[in-house]
Amino acid sequence: MMRVYLLYFLLGVFAFAIVFKTVQIMYVQGDQWREKAENLTVKYRTIDAVRGNIYDYNSRLLATSVPIYEVRFDPNADALSDELFNSKVDSLARSLSNLFRDKTPFQYKRELVNARNQGERFHLIKRNVKYNDLKAMREFPLFRRGRYKGGFIYVQQNKRQKPFRLLAARTIGYDREGLESVGLEGAYHDVLHGNSGKRLMKKIAGGVWMPVNDENEIEPEDGADLYSTIDVNIQDVAEYALMKQLKKHEADHGCVVLMEVNTGEIRAIANLQKGSDNQYYESYNFAVGSSTEPGSTIKLASYMAAMEDGFIDLDHKIETGNGKHLFYDTPMYDSKEGGYGEISVKRAFAVSSNIAIAKIINKYYKSNPQGFVDRLKDFRLDEPTGIEIAGEGVPYIKDADDETWSGITLPWMSHGYELQLTPLQILTFYNAVANDGKMMKPSFAHSIQKHGKIVKDFEPVVLKDQIASEGTIKRAQQMLEEVVLDGTATNLRGADYRIAGKTGTAQIAREKFGYDDVSYQASFCGYFPADKPKYSCIVVVNAPSKNVYYGNLVAGPIFKEIADKVYSTSIDIHDELQPLQVAERPKIPVSKNGDVDKLKSVFDRVDVKYHLDNDKAEWVFTQTENDSVNIHERKVTPNLVPNVRGMAAQDAVYLLENMGLHVEVTGRGVVKQQSLRAGTRIQKGKKIKLELT
Amino acid sequence: MRGRRTKNITENIDWLLISIYAVMVLLGWLNIYAANYTDEAGTIFDFSQNYGKQLMWIGTSAALAIAVMLLDVRFYETFAYVFYGIFVALLVAVLLVGTEIKGSQSWIVIGGVSIQPAEFAKYGTALALAKYLSSISVKMDQFKTKFTSAVILLVPAALILLQPDAGSTLVYASFIFVLYREGLSGKVLIVGVAAAMLFILTLFVEREMWNIETLDLTISGEYILMGSLLVLGGLILLLFRKNISSLWRPLTMLAVVAVGYVASVNYIFNEIFEDRHRNRIYELLGIISDPSGTGYNQHQSKIAIGSGGFWGKGYLEGTQTKFNFVPEQSTDFIFCTVGEEWGFVGTSIIIVLFLGLFIRIIWIAERQRSTFARVYAYSVVCIFFFHFAINIGMTIGLAPVIGIPLPFFSYGGSSLWSFTILLFTLIKLDAERRNVLR
Repeated sequence: MMRVYLLYFLLGVFAFAIVFKTVQIMYVQGDQWREKAENLTVKYRTIDAVRGNIYDYNSRLLATSVPIYEVRFDPNADALSDELFNSKVDSLARSLSNLFRDKTPFQYKRELVNARNQGERFHLIKRNVKYNDLKAMREFPLFRRGRYKGGFIYVQQNKRQKPFRLLAARTIGYDREGLESVGLEGAYHDVLHGNSGKRLMKKIAGGVWMPVNDENEIEPEDGADLYSTIDVNIQDVAEYALMKQLKKHEADHGCVVLMEVNTGEIRAIANLQKGSDNQYYESYNFAVGSSTEPGSTIKLASYMAAMEDGFIDLDHKIETGNGKHLFYDTPMYDSKEGGYGEISVKRAFAVSSNIAIAKIINKYYKSNPQGFVDRLKDFRLDEPTGIEIAGEGVPYIKDADDETWSGITLPWMSHGYELQLTPLQILTFYNAVANDGKMMKPSFAHSIQKHGKIVKDFEPVVLKDQIASEGTIKRAQQMLEEVVLDGTATNLRGADYRIAGKTGTAQIAREKFGYDDVSYQASFCGYFPADKPKYSCIVVVNAPSKNVYYGNLVAGPIFKEIADKVYSTSIDIHDELQPLQVAERPKIPVSKNGDVDKLKSVFDRVDVKYHLDNDKAEWVFTQTENDSVNIHERKVTPNLVPNVRGMAAQDAVYLLENMGLHVEVTGRGVVKQQSLRAGTRIQKGKKIKLELT
Repeated sequence: MRGRRTKNITENIDWLLISIYAVMVLLGWLNIYAANYTDEAGTIFDFSQNYGKQLMWIGTSAALAIAVMLLDVRFYETFAYVFYGIFVALLVAVLLVGTEIKGSQSWIVIGGVSIQPAEFAKYGTALALAKYLSSISVKMDQFKTKFTSAVILLVPAALILLQPDAGSTLVYASFIFVLYREGLSGKVLIVGVAAAMLFILTLFVEREMWNIETLDLTISGEYILMGSLLVLGGLILLLFRKNISSLWRPLTMLAVVAVGYVASVNYIFNEIFEDRHRNRIYELLGIISDPSGTGYNQHQSKIAIGSGGFWGKGYLEGTQTKFNFVPEQSTDFIFCTVGEEWGFVGTSIIIVLFLGLFIRIIWIAERQRSTFARVYAYSVVCIFFFHFAINIGMTIGLAPVIGIPLPFFSYGGSSLWSFTILLFTLIKLDAERRNVLR
């Protein structure tokens, strides 16, 4: 029994040891372990998805994410001895100076030596380093030794870049943390951003984070690409024309928007503002965000209102007098000295008489001012267009029962004061006129694609099917054409196509009340070609110099320049041109690659000279020279996939099927693509797809 | 108890053991749920998860237990060698056709179910050893007995070591206590303990370099150890043996053994052990400290237990547990789940339960009439005890990290089945003890 007791004793000893150790861990060392437990925090680390690109209408890159690097240096890396550092610091400084050319080698050396002496471990060398430069830096003295031996540290960041820089910058916008998102980047943030992934990380001893599980808790999902309606070519023209004119007139700011009539798609949108250095920058989206008193461009709506209500017609006569008319005790002037006298409605619009439209509207709507306001609302001028870009200005059109409504509100409203609209809203209205009354919603997004597949197609959105009767729209179009033919914008007349539109010259109050210290807003809104409208466009230039401020002179040329350029490059606007008939020497017919015997017999038959470099060749490809054809052998090695590109389908199929492949053909003509690469080993019965042109 | 006589077997069943078993299995299941629990976890009955599967294992174990109880008691003794043979054959098979999981080839996959023959081999070994030692002709003081017993133990141990599964192999060392109970000389135990201590001592000193400046000599620690052993041995012999002239022979032998042992420890440790084994032992001994590498498990486990406090953080509230800081937490490191969530109270209850189990089994062993049943009972308690001591020892830093499960608690079908069969065979033998002729 001794032995049994000994076993019991052993059990006891072990049990005691376990309890003892447990107590030790829990109580004696308890605080230490608990502290460690608290340090072991767990957190989700966000894994950023790759942001989608923004493309223009022709698939050119407008915005993309590129990796950039922040390069730092640990001058006190463990393995960096004095001897090593001192022997290499000169050459490193020279290399850095050579690469960046921002500091002399001596300055770099001083910086590096100082950093080392001050015990820095994370000295900033350069921010925003491009990949190629980083690659070069990796080969620099010391740096090439890596992080621990050479102290070379870099941190990758993603930077959003706009390859076309200024072009439509404000409309493309940005989406940065801590700032309100702007433009398309902001509007399509959700689409572009994708979905961030999440990974549960835990902190272990030594401050190292390690993943809790093998896989990400949530895999990041890359953002989709946005294909915008912007056309970089037109955008470039618009931006350049605007810039030129702003500079010429020393204007404060200006904007241009070009819209496709049928669809409402915005092809160009430029906003430029003078910076403190007198250069112009895209800094605010005036076209979208800035509601102002539009001035004369709104007269179109006023005339249309009166026509829609049947009060006037184009040949209706109005007495505009000597150019000055008093509404109550407030005078209104026309721009022509001595006035226009009695003129027709069409003429009044063409010369932009303020008195004419003010008298018409005052006469017919004085008893029912709300009737006029309601007409403007029928034209959907009181509502924002509802574009996807944030920050659209809200139209201001007051009702007749408004507190600020006075006896002169109606005449002044009729020519573009006491109401506010954004340039884009006015353009949308004009576009509707160009589009025979159908009001389209301005749009910036064409489609959303992911990995080249369309995820979403944006169909044109109709805001209002018919803003006015057909008759009114026709008359409005005639009036707009007359402005350019024989009105305030005759300087926009051109030989090839006609522009229709309206000038506007609005006084802008500098002070809160009244127009004492005036500044001007020159604008032109219209469409082209007048007979078959394809694009509508608005140009607004704000605060040009005081000498020249009329819409036709300041804004008109910008419109003309853009229209000319767009017209000349858009084939679909032109009438079909007859191709030039040029007498040409008969050409040698194009020959397909393939079987040599067939080729030879054809060439013999049509009497074309040819040169064959290898008589025994069976499969050949041809090179057409000026007056003869060179025929070269195309080597066909058994068991290897031959190159059949350029061959006719018949020959290619014959050749490939004989080699044991199963051929599938799409398209017509000669082979453009083959799915199995030439030179790869043939597996009998394998499928090869040929794409023909 | 002795005075009572009943014919009904069910009344002879040791319900205390079965109760302890049931409580342990239930607690184990709850803790496996906790170890796998996340905020999104489903119910404890989710069969795609460890805890759901464990419930399945518990159910099948219950069926196995009933089957064990229904079989004729003579079956176990009669077929002891057959069992042993089958399991040894399986151990050979697993080396040939087994599936490798986590670096050791110890699994046989049959129709989607993976079983670990090493877990069952213990059972076969226990039966075979019991059968052998209960033979009438066997006397423990005979060399032949010791040799045959050693063979019975070493064959499966060696096969398991080949997988390699060092943890399960070491379990066989626990049979030495069974042999001790059956009459093996205590000297063997002492030699064993001494060898283990010397082993550890060698590890401590072998990396040290001793610089004797006066002689301008640098000696590796192991030579110092060898020398010290010789001197010490000589001194002991001098003190206890009067006849100095006959000293040279034992002294030479001692020298050879000591030097040989130290050298072979060095060899075994550095040549046969793998890096991970070496590092775990170094880590345990505090020779190296690498809390984010080799020592990670144990370190995290200690944090879990240490942060549990007296009452624990509460069921399913353990942060260490919930965020998977401790790898293998539902299998080998289940004890730290208990430590973190149930605190000192919980770990004490577990220890008390196990101690109760052991004492009860030894007590039962001693009341057996047949040598077979007694040896078997001791085998069972030794296997359980070894698992218990090493498993809990490794979670709290008393033992090196050897991957063996905590009986009835750790997740796993093979281990639960084998422990269940081990225990219930004992209960069956015990229930029929009165029908056995002495």
